[in-house]
Amino acid sequence: MSLVKAKPQKRAKTAHQEALAGPVGSNQMSVGRVARVATMLFVAAIFIVPIIGFVAMAFRDQDEVAAGEGGVLGLGGVSWDNVVYSWSQVNGFGPGEGGLFLQWVGNSLFVAVIGAILAVVAAIPAGYALARLRFRFRRTVLFVTLLAMVMPNTVLVIPLFLEVNAIGASGELWPVAVIMGFFPFGVYLAYIHFMTTMPQELVEAARIDGLSEIGIFFQVATPISKQAVALVTFFAFVANWTNYFLPLALLSSVQGNKTISIGLQELIGASPLFNPTVAAGLNVKLYMPQLALATFLSMIPLLIVFIGAQRFLMRGQTVGAVKG
Amino acid sequence: MSQGTIAPPHAEAQPEPPGRGLRTKRQSAAGRRKLHQREVRGAWTLLSPYMVLLLIGGIIPIFYAVYTALQRPATPVQPEGGFGGISSFVTVFSDFRFWQTFGNIFSVLIVWLPIMMLGIVGLALLVHASPGRFGNTMRFLYYIPGALAGIANLVLWVYLLNPAQSPIAGLWNVMGLDTIKAVVATDGNLPFILAGMLFFQGIGTWIVVVNGGLNGIPDEVLEAASIDGANAWHTAWHVKLPIIRPWIGYAALMNLAYGFQLFLEPQLLDQVSSNALPDQTTPTQLGYAFAFSNYNFPAAAAMSLILLVITLGIGLLIVFRSGLFGEEEK
Repeated sequence: MSLVKAKPQKRAKTAHQEALAGPVGSNQMSVGRVARVATMLFVAAIFIVPIIGFVAMAFRDQDEVAAGEGGVLGLGGVSWDNVVYSWSQVNGFGPGEGGLFLQWVGNSLFVAVIGAILAVVAAIPAGYALARLRFRFRRTVLFVTLLAMVMPNTVLVIPLFLEVNAIGASGELWPVAVIMGFFPFGVYLAYIHFMTTMPQELVEAARIDGLSEIGIFFQVATPISKQAVALVTFFAFVANWTNYFLPLALLSSVQGNKTISIGLQELIGASPLFNPTVAAGLNVKLYMPQLALATFLSMIPLLIVFIGAQRFLMRGQTVGAVKG
Repeated sequence: MSQGTIAPPHAEAQPEPPGRGLRTKRQSAAGRRKLHQREVRGAWTLLSPYMVLLLIGGIIPIFYAVYTALQRPATPVQPEGGFGGISSFVTVFSDFRFWQTFGNIFSVLIVWLPIMMLGIVGLALLVHASPGRFGNTMRFLYYIPGALAGIANLVLWVYLLNPAQSPIAGLWNVMGLDTIKAVVATDGNLPFILAGMLFFQGIGTWIVVVNGGLNGIPDEVLEAASIDGANAWHTAWHVKLPIIRPWIGYAALMNLAYGFQLFLEPQLLDQVSSNALPDQTTPTQLGYAFAFSNYNFPAAAAMSLILLVITLGIGLLIVFRSGLFGEEEK
């Protein structure tokens, strides 16, 4: 179990680094230092100001937005009443009483959660086998995984659509969830995890103790894979939730089965700002405050998983911890 | 593989330890083979869920796309289709939009990639040169736009691009643009808008990645540089930059591959600008149109195979040449 403790060493090193660089930096109030801090603050402002304005937009009233009132970034015009009204519009979208928005969020939850569970169930044993077992084609599997990981997942969407269409399942949610379960980046994360936290001796020792190969995985590897499980779940869920092209190709044909990512597109398309003819036929009005609110709400699940996974994310970065 | 070091678990055939009797050697060889067989069986059992998903999500669709691309599209005259050879590829290549879409991608890449790479490397170096709470806070702030991925980023940009309520409406007014349609569809604007959108949503995660590379530089190296009298600029330029070159190459290639598959942004910008943009700005949009507007599945399959080959080429470069995946694979 002392193996798991290997991690804090890295943190200690960073702390050491900071202690090392700290005094040197603070002694010099040089032009370079001022320029560096100023540049960084300026860039941060460019990134954050639009987001503040956008979030404020979700709390504003369309008449005031149209009249240009509300002060800097519209922060003067925010109120809860506006949110309540905007929600009635967003929630009212759809046939009859509306309610499509929540249905789309539910669909997104379904595919993103099932997809993430499948990704974890597949990635943890696969990552362990690739890292700690010897078999033919091990390098081939690893190579294919790396390749699939670095390629944008959109390139396969049309072939995937053809595949799903061939079995007559387009428009259904379960094929989307299954396809999302194929998450090579998760396998790579698990592989790196076992390479760095589980020494080969541990496997050898467990063999000498008479454990079967599967037994070693469940009794030795699984208990120390919490970090990998958290990371794979997080990255898979985020990738699934924000996936746009796959649901677009597979689910567009059935309106009630859309995910929220393509649902937002439909809301944009129904806005009088961009499509007056379509919007005229609707009894809800989706202006910018309503669209901003819908977007903001659609991101809450991401926020929740981010907060849940935060302590795992902060522990060291894995090479290429990103998948576009 | 002997016990001991955490050596990479390959090198399947290992020599027998010398100095043993022939009999025991043969016995132990048989025993080890049996053990190894158990290990192989265990490995494939553990891999099987992933293998199934790899087949469904990767291998089968590729082969099925190859098969589909070699068919004839079903037409009212010939509803059953049939073998069509390379005719679908001819359809794709001779489509007037084919080269245009790649030209469009190229014009986005040429604006976006240099800005992106400069931004990633510059900001990562700045963050790394700012240890402690300030640097960490900045890195976190830079990461926030990345959380607005995909469609959320698009809605944010619709907010920014619409002169009616944009916080940067002043900029659009100076340029004489008073509707979102004018902003998006005025000639020459699109590559810059797309570059801005991609920069905004992508920069944060890449700063974290390259910063991770910078954190891997041993303290002694940086200490040695400062003892030699290198100032912050010198250290960044002559020490840090060469060391993180693999990460920079990785970032460049990943973003290049990402650029080739652009779909959401041009597709939805077209929607918010009353279809003032070309319906098919990018190759992926063209493939989508083949499938869902023309119902020409063979051409759609051919188009996605062409894109697959391009991104596969970039992917191979990343895996073999970036130097990041070498350590565990050599």
